[in-house]
Amino acid sequence: MAAAAAAAAAEWEEAERKVLVARKAAFGLPTACPTCLPVLLYLRMSQVPFDIHVDSSFPDADHIPYVEFGECVAFNNEKGGVIEYLKEEKIVDLNSKNPSVSSSDVLSTRAMVLTWLSDALQYELWVVTDGSIPHEIYFSDLPWPIGKILYWKKTRAVKQLLGITKLNAAEKEDEIYQKANAAYDALSMKLGDQIFLFDDSPTDVDALFLGHALFVLNALPDTSLLRSCLQKHDNLVKFAEHLKVQLLEVDTSTAGLGSSTDPSSSSTPRKRASSGRGYKPKPRAKKERTEEQKMFRQRSKYFLATQLVAVLVFLSLMGGVDSSELDDDDGVDYQY
Amino acid sequence: MATAAGQNPKDAEPRDPVEGDDAEVAEEEYEEDEEEEEDGELDGPAAEAAKRERVHAVLNRLLSSPVGIRVHDVIIKGNAKTKEELIEAEVADLLRAAPTVQDLLRNASIASARLRQLDVFDSVEITLDAGPTELPGTTNVVIEVVEAANPITGNAGVYSKPEARSWSLEGSLKLKNMFGYGDIWDASCAYGWDQTSEVGIGVSLPRFKSIPTPLMARASLSSQDWLKFSSYKERLLGLSFGLLSTMQHDLSYNLTWRTLTDPSHVSSTSIRRQLGHNLLSALKYTYKIDQRNSHLRPTKGYAFLSTTQVGGLWDSKGLRFFRQEFDVRGAVPLGFYNTALNVGLGVGAILPLGRGFMNLSSPVPDRFYLGGHSSPVCSLSGLSSLLGFRTRGIGPTEPRRLVPSESDDGSTATQRRDYLGGDFAVSAFADLSFDLPLKLFRDAGIHGHAFLTAGNLAKLSEGEYKRFSLSEFGRTFRSSAGAGIILPTKLFRVEVNYCYILKQSEHDYGKTGIQFSFSSPL
Repeated sequence: MAAAAAAAAAEWEEAERKVLVARKAAFGLPTACPTCLPVLLYLRMSQVPFDIHVDSSFPDADHIPYVEFGECVAFNNEKGGVIEYLKEEKIVDLNSKNPSVSSSDVLSTRAMVLTWLSDALQYELWVVTDGSIPHEIYFSDLPWPIGKILYWKKTRAVKQLLGITKLNAAEKEDEIYQKANAAYDALSMKLGDQIFLFDDSPTDVDALFLGHALFVLNALPDTSLLRSCLQKHDNLVKFAEHLKVQLLEVDTSTAGLGSSTDPSSSSTPRKRASSGRGYKPKPRAKKERTEEQKMFRQRSKYFLATQLVAVLVFLSLMGGVDSSELDDDDGVDYQY
Repeated sequence: MATAAGQNPKDAEPRDPVEGDDAEVAEEEYEEDEEEEEDGELDGPAAEAAKRERVHAVLNRLLSSPVGIRVHDVIIKGNAKTKEELIEAEVADLLRAAPTVQDLLRNASIASARLRQLDVFDSVEITLDAGPTELPGTTNVVIEVVEAANPITGNAGVYSKPEARSWSLEGSLKLKNMFGYGDIWDASCAYGWDQTSEVGIGVSLPRFKSIPTPLMARASLSSQDWLKFSSYKERLLGLSFGLLSTMQHDLSYNLTWRTLTDPSHVSSTSIRRQLGHNLLSALKYTYKIDQRNSHLRPTKGYAFLSTTQVGGLWDSKGLRFFRQEFDVRGAVPLGFYNTALNVGLGVGAILPLGRGFMNLSSPVPDRFYLGGHSSPVCSLSGLSSLLGFRTRGIGPTEPRRLVPSESDDGSTATQRRDYLGGDFAVSAFADLSFDLPLKLFRDAGIHGHAFLTAGNLAKLSEGEYKRFSLSEFGRTFRSSAGAGIILPTKLFRVEVNYCYILKQSEHDYGKTGIQFSFSSPL
């Protein structure tokens, strides 16, 4: 294991170029995909010079984002992700620079960000919004039939992952937002007045949370519940804004660092769905409508059943009474 | 056909075809014949003799000079399901156009063949019957068809295709003439030993309204596994429409959703960049002339095939490229021992389209690949085989992803490489086939051959064309030579070859030795 780690680190050192392959830029962010953004921020925080290559043809890939260095690659779906891989192979480990931080603390915070906050974000992005935001990020470079089918598949997959069905949709939504709120409260308390979450020096959890926060603040529409939850905590918003300026705007202005093959990263106007369009307050109305719909369905079933019984009775009665007359008619018909 | 031909003189005989001055004479003969007929009916052996004389007389007349006739009506019988318009559209013009009996007989046989070709009838009979009595010199053509009793046919088999590396088990069901337009519906599925599989349904119409050529439509879902050679798997969901299909021309449109994935995570950089979804909307035109005297063992003739494919008809987001292939073959008999020399040359190029096309890359599955054991002599399907080399065994390569391993000695294991194919390909072969001296082999169709094959691939996209030079291309031609025996059996055609690699480049996968190849017996 040590030999392998050393080999990977050596390959990293020897590589003249590191390339991060991520999804396209949008909403004023260098990459708008919530899975790719933390990796980019982690590399920026670690002050690793890298290039960005945009991948626009594989929106449902598990392996994106990935980092190429030399002939080696660190994929998102191997060894826990790019950040975990870089930490384990001792290539880029932000946490090691901060030995006083308790690792169990970091671990539990990381788990909270990766599960509760990530779930809430996925829920908002795929289930709540009307599709314009995911389309902008993932499907804008694919022909529309493919985009539509992949969007539908992803929405179904997210619903399955979060365990949302028609019956429990409302409860699940409450649960998701409750957990998100709890997470924000905890993080806000943890952050306090500091610059970073743990003792004024960056960790990978900062990158993960920053990625989440930047996406929520910039990509989700104004009417988003998650966004309003986050905006309740001023210190979290300030944390996000401050680091955004430090990591993203500073670096894009520096030549040679983070040069992107997609020149529109900083010049893309902030596209946000207008308040009513992107976000539909479905859940509340859905709950009531479900009950109404149930009543309606029950009644219509009774109605149809009655109709069917009436038709059957009519046929059997008519058939029994007029059978002799019908036979005569048949006889006449046959004699062309 | 014999029945139709046999009946014709007898039936045509009472209505002597007339033209000009022969009219009166013919009418007299007609009356005489009727009398003779009446007389003949009374007397048994005399009737036979009279019949024979009449038949001879008619035949003599037919042989001596063209006998004019006019088709009055085309009557179709026996078509319970099939629409009359279909049969009429296929053959009516042909029959009505015949000015003489000889032409009519010939056209009738062609018409019968055409109807049989529709593949929806069990039997077709064309009879020339007497026309209405008030119109002399006319005939009614009666087409009697027997529709296929069992509309569903199925077949299954094990085949080997040139593109596939191994066998595939195929089964298909055909439903004929469901709507009466001569439509043939088929559902097929194929499973290959290397996890290649395809499922598809299709329909073919012999004619649609005013379009005289057959139309075909097919929807299919297929997957191909190239992990071993180029580290990707291909999944295709597509519709294809055959718009024009004649002996020489073929035009089809293809709309396919293609997904490339790499579940093994070891692909090289170029392949990794191409993974993902794309939409291929392409028009393909094939022009084919095949004047060789046999498909399995051509000894005389020539053949030419040109395939043009233009992709990118959807919009700027689909795959856009232009692909052209030429394939020329010739066979020359050499006289002794049934020897024949077959030569062939194939050239192909693919070019991405769009702004800045010189720096774009061409799509990996559409590039040219050379290699494989399938015989270049039989199949007229363009470049692909290069005996002695593995499938996709030559051409530009790229090292695969390096996974830092736990090897103690520190030396890296030989890194596998991905074969990327080429944008420009040339391949050629020369094959001398001869009979083996034993009569036993000759009777079984077993023959031997000696061959020489050569080919090369080059990359032109992504700016590589600037570094391309023909002299370098010629210098790096790979080649192989060898000899072998071909055994055609009922199930498949077996080739046993000994190949010797004459020239190969650094990363090519060619092996000198004995190789087997199986192909379909057709």
